[in-house]
Amino acid sequence: MADSTTPAKGGNTPKPATGDQSAKEKSKAASRSVSGGTSKGGNTPRPVKGAQEVAAAPGRSRGMLIAWGAVALVVVIIVVVVIVAVTGNSNSNSTATPVTATPASVLRDVANVPASVFNTVGVTSTIPVSKPIVSAGNPPMTLQGHSPAVLYYGAEYCPYCAAERWPMTVALARFGTWSNLQITGSSKIDTAPDTKTFSYHGASLESPHIFFKGVEQYTNVPLADGRGYGNLDTPTKEEGKILSTYTTSKFLPNASTSGGISFPFVDINNSMLISGASYDPNVLAGLSWADIAGNLTDPTNQVTQAIIATANYMTAGICQATKGQPGDVCTSSGVQAAAKALGITAG
Amino acid sequence: MPTLRWQPISTLVLSVFGLCVSIYLTITHFDTKVLACASNGVINCEKVTQSPQSVIFHIPVAMLGLAFFVPMIVLCLPAAWRTATRWVHLARLAMAITGVAMVVYLITAELFAIKAICLWCTSVHVITFILFVIIVTAAPIVLAPGYGDDLIDEDEVISEDGGDRRIEVEG
Repeated sequence: MADSTTPAKGGNTPKPATGDQSAKEKSKAASRSVSGGTSKGGNTPRPVKGAQEVAAAPGRSRGMLIAWGAVALVVVIIVVVVIVAVTGNSNSNSTATPVTATPASVLRDVANVPASVFNTVGVTSTIPVSKPIVSAGNPPMTLQGHSPAVLYYGAEYCPYCAAERWPMTVALARFGTWSNLQITGSSKIDTAPDTKTFSYHGASLESPHIFFKGVEQYTNVPLADGRGYGNLDTPTKEEGKILSTYTTSKFLPNASTSGGISFPFVDINNSMLISGASYDPNVLAGLSWADIAGNLTDPTNQVTQAIIATANYMTAGICQATKGQPGDVCTSSGVQAAAKALGITAG
Repeated sequence: MPTLRWQPISTLVLSVFGLCVSIYLTITHFDTKVLACASNGVINCEKVTQSPQSVIFHIPVAMLGLAFFVPMIVLCLPAAWRTATRWVHLARLAMAITGVAMVVYLITAELFAIKAICLWCTSVHVITFILFVIIVTAAPIVLAPGYGDDLIDEDEVISEDGGDRRIEVEG
């Protein structure tokens, strides 16, 4: 603190203590000094505090400079981040729905459809649902050394794949836990444009009962020349052999005569085959991922009925492959209804 | 010695607002049904609050917001701004810098990974950024040597015998 025992010349003199002042007041009065260095006529050396201020002033100015520099730096960083993001999105979002992480709520809804919904719907759906093809007598599928197995072959742009992934994701979630499952939309320039769905590119199912492999041959981003879509996954030799075997007219009545494979193609342990969508993808038009997933608790919802009925068919096929495991899923009335409709044993 | 006028009250009010939004976002993290926000297109709060990026080290980001604003409120109380205790000002500054660094990370995550914007989260980002600006630009003042010394209550300084110790009173 300032030592102001010497009165400042030319400044305000301390107020003299009067006789009736208390000791405290006397002390205050005696200590009252000339303030700072701005008082007129202050020729005496400034008190210590004033000297501190003089010394601190340049430091404070430098500090202010650094402070505002830091603020400017943060502003620049944020502006650059926003510009890069907006520029990048404008290049990609105009042609395709991006592939992003699945919101936890959507994943939760898909993986936790109440058993009562499966059982209430069974295979009854207001929206027409196609039965899968049962193909008995084929050797069980082995993929990457795992058996039984399910192979999905499709593309992110494909609207029929978009529709089929919903029941498939729901059905497989009854046998394990999804990892790295992402959301996207089908092509914006194809039938049922931008149907909200998942992508199996990079996704995996952790299951003690069944092995799953998803192959997304193409992205949903159109090529610049308008001739198709970007390449994504390539089937392995093992997968290619399965595809070439089970997509022929011997197994699929609607197989392409030119030898091409229609998307989607689903092979459940070589004993159940699905070619094309099981229901019309247009019924998903205008629905968000949250809308579709959120409605899966409502067995009276028509879209839910189509998804769950298809999922029950698929589940019956998987249960046939797993020999009825897990028991609570495979013996449930919804799955049993599907198995009965298909003429197979689900467990 | 320059003084702070509006900074204490404004930072306190901002921190309280930030805490309120963080509480709301924490609730909606666990119960998305109470989230009042658009859920289509770029503006999609649920997509953001339920994204993998909404959890860091198993802690929801919204709860990190709580952990940020509660101590920030304490550090932005007028008494804390007035104190001569240097670590209080350093702690406030450190929190502000940490907060704005987190904001930059979260904006990046929203725009590049999640590809959606949460308006509630953005309001917290704005509050945190304004807090950062105020606290950082006030730092040269509150961290200057001698800051707060002249704000000590006179009654506490004068010795009981009313005697020798002197206190400077700004004229």
